Amino acid sequence: MRRSGAEIALSLGVLALGAGVAVGTALLPAEGGYARIGPNFIPAVVAFGLIVAGAFLLYEALTGGWRNMPAAAERTEHALHWGAFAWISAGLIAHMALIQWAGFVVAGAVLFACVARGFGSGRALRDAAVGLALALGVFLFFVRVLNVSLPGGWLKPFIGGL
Amino acid sequence: MEAFAGLLQGFDVALKPINLLWGFVGVTLGTFVGVLPGVGPALTVAMLLPLTAQLDPTGALIMFAGIYYGAMFGGSTTTILLNTPGESASIATALEGNRMAKNGRAGPALATSAIGSFVAGTIAVALLTLLAPVVVEVALKFGPAEYFALMVFAFTTVAAVLGASTTRGLASLFVGLALGLVGIDSQTGQPRFAFGVPELLDGIDVVVLAVGLFAVGETLYVAAYTSRLPETLEKVKGSLWMSLEDWKRSLPAWLRATAIGFPFGSIPAGGAEIPTFLSYSLEKKLSRHPEQFGSGAIEGVAGPEAANNASATGVLVPLLTLGIPTSATAAILLTAFQNYGIQPGPLLFQIQPELVWGLIASMYVGNVILLVLNLPLIGIWVKVLSIPRPMLYAGILVFATLGAYSLHQSWVDLATLYVFGLLGFVMRRFDIPVAPAVIGLILGPLAETQFRRALSISQGDASVFLTQPISATFLAVTALLIVVPWLVRRRRRAAQGRR
Repeated sequence: MRRSGAEIALSLGVLALGAGVAVGTALLPAEGGYARIGPNFIPAVVAFGLIVAGAFLLYEALTGGWRNMPAAAERTEHALHWGAFAWISAGLIAHMALIQWAGFVVAGAVLFACVARGFGSGRALRDAAVGLALALGVFLFFVRVLNVSLPGGWLKPFIGGL
Repeated sequence: MEAFAGLLQGFDVALKPINLLWGFVGVTLGTFVGVLPGVGPALTVAMLLPLTAQLDPTGALIMFAGIYYGAMFGGSTTTILLNTPGESASIATALEGNRMAKNGRAGPALATSAIGSFVAGTIAVALLTLLAPVVVEVALKFGPAEYFALMVFAFTTVAAVLGASTTRGLASLFVGLALGLVGIDSQTGQPRFAFGVPELLDGIDVVVLAVGLFAVGETLYVAAYTSRLPETLEKVKGSLWMSLEDWKRSLPAWLRATAIGFPFGSIPAGGAEIPTFLSYSLEKKLSRHPEQFGSGAIEGVAGPEAANNASATGVLVPLLTLGIPTSATAAILLTAFQNYGIQPGPLLFQIQPELVWGLIASMYVGNVILLVLNLPLIGIWVKVLSIPRPMLYAGILVFATLGAYSLHQSWVDLATLYVFGLLGFVMRRFDIPVAPAVIGLILGPLAETQFRRALSISQGDASVFLTQPISATFLAVTALLIVVPWLVRRRRRAAQGRR
């Protein structure tokens, strides 16, 4: 019988989310005025729904696996490439950390280079240069043409922005 | 003839040079982004949303209608030439279209898809024109109880009836509903699940969820699971034109597919996946050349493509007349409306008829622009497809993060985006449908408001949902939709057990 640890873990995750919503709901006031139901009623329904869905998922995972999953032969996949996953995650986290003080353009260039690296590109400097050009173009278009403010950061003396 | 008068008024708006320009820009941008592999219509609309920040509502919505159509056509180009269906509704097209391209018939495959989209799109908009005032007439009589029942029906069809697994669909829906709880309760002002983070008090933006699931999640999935596989881009060789034989085989397929696709889209049943597959199997059954199916039959491209387009237009019926989105793309279009303080629904037809009818008229125009623009420019779209994958996905993420960041100028939205990216990655890997979560997030708070309003009116008497005939009917149909398939499966299993 097929049994997948990941499916069990995900089912437990849905159950845990349901439990979390239930706890949060218990802390909400029940005062409801004319409707006689307060801001805690629908959250309780959602918590119940999550717990039921999670329980069904867990039941399926423990009795032969989730139903109607695509057969392995239908999937065109290679084994999980952790490096690719890690590079893209690193790029997104670095972007998050950099955007306020280094600015949109620098953060965008770093993100671009990291994602390209994750997809197997071996030319980090070229990628960073392309990313810099793209982010700069987008920045100028949004700030100058669309009047959407974006942080200029380190390059603010040259290109403006917030 | 209210529809006719409205439509004439609409053409007045849509044919203004500036609005024509926005339609043109929308179709071009939509096709350009839609062609990018892995970028479906929902993501295209979500990523291009910040661009309309400075436009007036009519211009912006007309541009979005163009983007919507362009993105759909762009997606089918990618499917045919690259065999990577960007969304489930394109899988049927991939079966025959990519085969045709491999046999050196990419030109006619692209042509039948473009002309089929035009034919189906135009007929579907005409049906929308006729149907919308009728639905509006009925919907004006709806109170909160009816709306709530209708939304429950939409939730159920989207999450439980469509898709491979009811359980996974419902799990996705409830995750979306849970996300919809975050923020200030609209009835009492009570903050819920915001954990003291000011950015969360506004609630979770549908754009962040959609871009996170579709762009970040998809990029993580592709990088981790398919980026090291070889990929072949089929060349567009020979003539673009369809032969007389091709026309004869395509035309009936387009028309039949429109008849399948439009109703599926317009009852709140969401998703173009089922009508495309229905059309595919119908064409296979009716074809005089069934042996060609699997090795490049033109009906197998013409039908699903037309069905996809007709159903995408059908989805606009509940969106415009009732304010109920039944696909992920429609959910994002609804956000675009809400950004301008516009709530689609029957009242919109009365308060801002020039806007609604202008939008509908611009769809006729958009379909024409799509047809004249796309086939001549096919060379450019093919060039877009040959952008190296590392650059392509890096660019997509630069735009995805921009869309999230520009909402509040805050890194909190970027963190939320990454969390949704991880969620999308897992959902993609484990075949959990994404659309129910997106629809749950946007429709959940609306459903809650209607539910509590209905109870306020009835002084807390919950039987109001069952004593109003329309509301009771919707709820009964919803219950049947869940119970009947389950009973059928049980009986079948019992019958097998006896044997």
